[in-house]
Amino acid sequence: MSDDPFEAIKATFFQECEELLADLEGNLLTLESGSTDIEVINAVFRAVHSVKGGAGAFGLENLVRFAHVFETLMDELRSGRKPCDDPTVKTLLRASDVLADHVAAARGAGAAVDPVRSAGLVAELEALTYGGAAPVAAAEPEEDDFGFTPVAMDLGAFDAPAGLPDLPPLPDLAALAPLPDLSALAAAGGWKVVFRPHPRLYASANETGLLLRELARLGPTRVQMDDSGLPLLDALEPTDSHLIWTIELDGDASETEVREVFDFVEMDCDLSVTPLGDAAPVEAALAAVADEDDSDASALARAASSELDIAALLASVGAASTEAPAPVAAPVIAPAPEPVAPPPPVKPAPAPTAAAPVQTAPPAAAPVTIRVDLERVDRLINAVGELVIQQAMLAQRVTESGLARSSDIGLGLEDLELLTREIQDSVMAIRAQPVKSVFQRMPRLVREAAEATGKKVKLVTSGEDTEVDKTVIERLSDPITHMLRNAIDHGLEGPEERLAAGKPAEGTVRLAALHRSGRIVIEISDDGKGINRPRVKGIAVERGLIAEDAILSDDEIDNLIFLPGFSTATEVSDLSGRGVGMDVVRRSIQSLGGRISISSVPGKGSTFTLSLPLTLAVLDGMVVGAADQTLVAPLAAIVESLTPNEADIHYVGGVDPVLRFREAFVPLVDVAQVMGFRDDPTVLKGGVVMIVETESGQRAALLVDAIHGQRQVVIKSLESNYRHVEGVAAATILGDGRVALILDIDALVTAKRSRTPSRSDLQMAS
Amino acid sequence: MTKTVLTVDDSRTMRDMLMLALKDAGYRVVQAEDGVHGLEVLQAESPDIVITDINMPRMDGFGFIEGMRADPAFSAVPVLVLTTESDAAKKQRAREAGATGWIVKPFDPVRLVDAVRRVAA
Repeated sequence: MSDDPFEAIKATFFQECEELLADLEGNLLTLESGSTDIEVINAVFRAVHSVKGGAGAFGLENLVRFAHVFETLMDELRSGRKPCDDPTVKTLLRASDVLADHVAAARGAGAAVDPVRSAGLVAELEALTYGGAAPVAAAEPEEDDFGFTPVAMDLGAFDAPAGLPDLPPLPDLAALAPLPDLSALAAAGGWKVVFRPHPRLYASANETGLLLRELARLGPTRVQMDDSGLPLLDALEPTDSHLIWTIELDGDASETEVREVFDFVEMDCDLSVTPLGDAAPVEAALAAVADEDDSDASALARAASSELDIAALLASVGAASTEAPAPVAAPVIAPAPEPVAPPPPVKPAPAPTAAAPVQTAPPAAAPVTIRVDLERVDRLINAVGELVIQQAMLAQRVTESGLARSSDIGLGLEDLELLTREIQDSVMAIRAQPVKSVFQRMPRLVREAAEATGKKVKLVTSGEDTEVDKTVIERLSDPITHMLRNAIDHGLEGPEERLAAGKPAEGTVRLAALHRSGRIVIEISDDGKGINRPRVKGIAVERGLIAEDAILSDDEIDNLIFLPGFSTATEVSDLSGRGVGMDVVRRSIQSLGGRISISSVPGKGSTFTLSLPLTLAVLDGMVVGAADQTLVAPLAAIVESLTPNEADIHYVGGVDPVLRFREAFVPLVDVAQVMGFRDDPTVLKGGVVMIVETESGQRAALLVDAIHGQRQVVIKSLESNYRHVEGVAAATILGDGRVALILDIDALVTAKRSRTPSRSDLQMAS
Repeated sequence: MTKTVLTVDDSRTMRDMLMLALKDAGYRVVQAEDGVHGLEVLQAESPDIVITDINMPRMDGFGFIEGMRADPAFSAVPVLVLTTESDAAKKQRAREAGATGWIVKPFDPVRLVDAVRRVAA
């Protein structure tokens, strides 16, 4: 967090903008789905309004201008002056995208806003606001009526040390006045202010005493009070107003400054401000402003005016003297001096001031969440990882020492194990976040993809609240983006084609998240034409990815699209581009320990399914032994394990071993040899084989000496503690305290394959 | 004695800004996120001054001020309305609800504190 509080608030603003933009989009989508709920329209208005408000405070003028146009239309919609119909909502959705661009640009996080797009939307919004016919120019005066002028906040003022008591009296009012104030020139002689409050003035918690105090800040004052209108005590109605005040102000304050003192109450009083030199009699001055009952004016003429000491008056209403105006810190219960004046007609000093708030009471707006530095959470996760390891080691020592599980120590250890697991789960939960943050970005993407392809697309999302580790979430965004684009670009048909196929013109793309057996599953499905298998197969043959005569199942054909270098787009489209194919998507998913698969029904559509671990901090692994070393293989990659028959092992070209597995040959990898633990060729006797599936869906057989068992291990990065080692993904510490390497299945198999003749595994598998 | 200001605004940015400016000027600040919340905090904290936004979910600023003025305990507590709309209709509506004065957003901290001081006894 920045030390500069202003910068910190700015950061808060942008964070809040993110939330507001997400709300905005969500509410617009609700409107798009046909809702006409006024509350939803109001919520949209407020979101834009809040963005504008904050942006104004930071002087972000482009953002303010765009938000203002947006807000103006929302104001029309919420008042019902303009209908919130479908074309309007569509425009609003696009406007929300541009608003997001403006926010990003203001934050310095995004590219500059496309000026043509922004101006186009401004024109569209204005056309909707002022009725399509009205030219934009004609609209501008109205905008001026709106009276919104962005004023950048004065940063320096925040640095002023709690300087209220020293503030110069209303320093900047004249400076801010839009026109040169002629009265300022004539002000040298001071002002005569005649002031008669209406009862309403008091009802809004204004006080004459405070107004007089303000005037006294402008210069020396002499105050006269006319109490002739005051009824006898028993007839006195406390909420009525009976007094008339005449204040003579010396000094060089301008008329604007004097009137500014009364600007909150100008509707609730009769007020006249005339130069002191003027001989205009008081009654004439008041008669000029009195809108009723001129008997008051004559009453004033009979007034038994009493000269007042302004300082004493101020003291009597609980304020400080004019010499040392320190209103903020002013004690409320200053002892009133001997009464020098009739009791001031102001309402009894506000009771709440006396009923002082309890200073120790916590603010009621207690947050329900706290923000914690991610580094702290990671430190905690790391420590818990150590705890898990330590607990496992302790358990092993206890077992080795021959203590029974039912012994006190054994039982205590069992409790410790449960507790450790609970702590581990809770800590992991801290890092878990709903996938909403990723899903929220998708509607815009779909809109833009639809616009670019000329297709009509509806996005339906579900399971936004499904939680997964933050790191996983961050790395989910790109693959999902790519697959959604792919679904729209390649999966969905154009409107005509869809209608011809008896489908609605608008295609549907579904994005769903769910938890399934300890993993998170993301499904992206479309109701498009499905995978064109003959074409896919043709391309794969053409690119030399499979043999021409290869016999593949439908499923295998569908999964060909994940092979490197495969792209079904005949022409390179704007959306998919070249180079980023489904193989890249698959790789990024697999780098997270995930899998991706596709299922497709011709004419009905396709479904991509991603399955990912919930966290990257722990791994379900198979502990195996190879040449005196203990290794861990990721469980997710293991299809099955078996003890091979010597008869099933063949040698390709007399060198490279393959294993016959279910009527197919898979390359056989001797882990100990590839890892360099052992030089001599495979010793098969007593060995065990694990059939694994690599990232590209190819299978291989890993030969190890023994399988010790399945275990959840805490992942320790090898790179950050040592250096990258080929064939090793990470390391962990086992219960006996030894370090075990976690195998990188893909690298192992690739290392093996790089030494085999360049025949594709698929050919062998077929 | 330190005076307590209640700020009612649905924007965290605005609440933070008000907090910063008012704390620097020596006030104690309590916050609420909308009109309904504002009325609750009002009861709990008995602030000396209230600053409220107008456009808020659940209950807007007008409703909040009316609710506040309906309680005799708070009929004389000054309320300043925060508004980007400086137009007469909004001010009039706020005045009718019982607002003491207003602050036009975006506000300068000096003017904000000045406005608070003007209505605070």
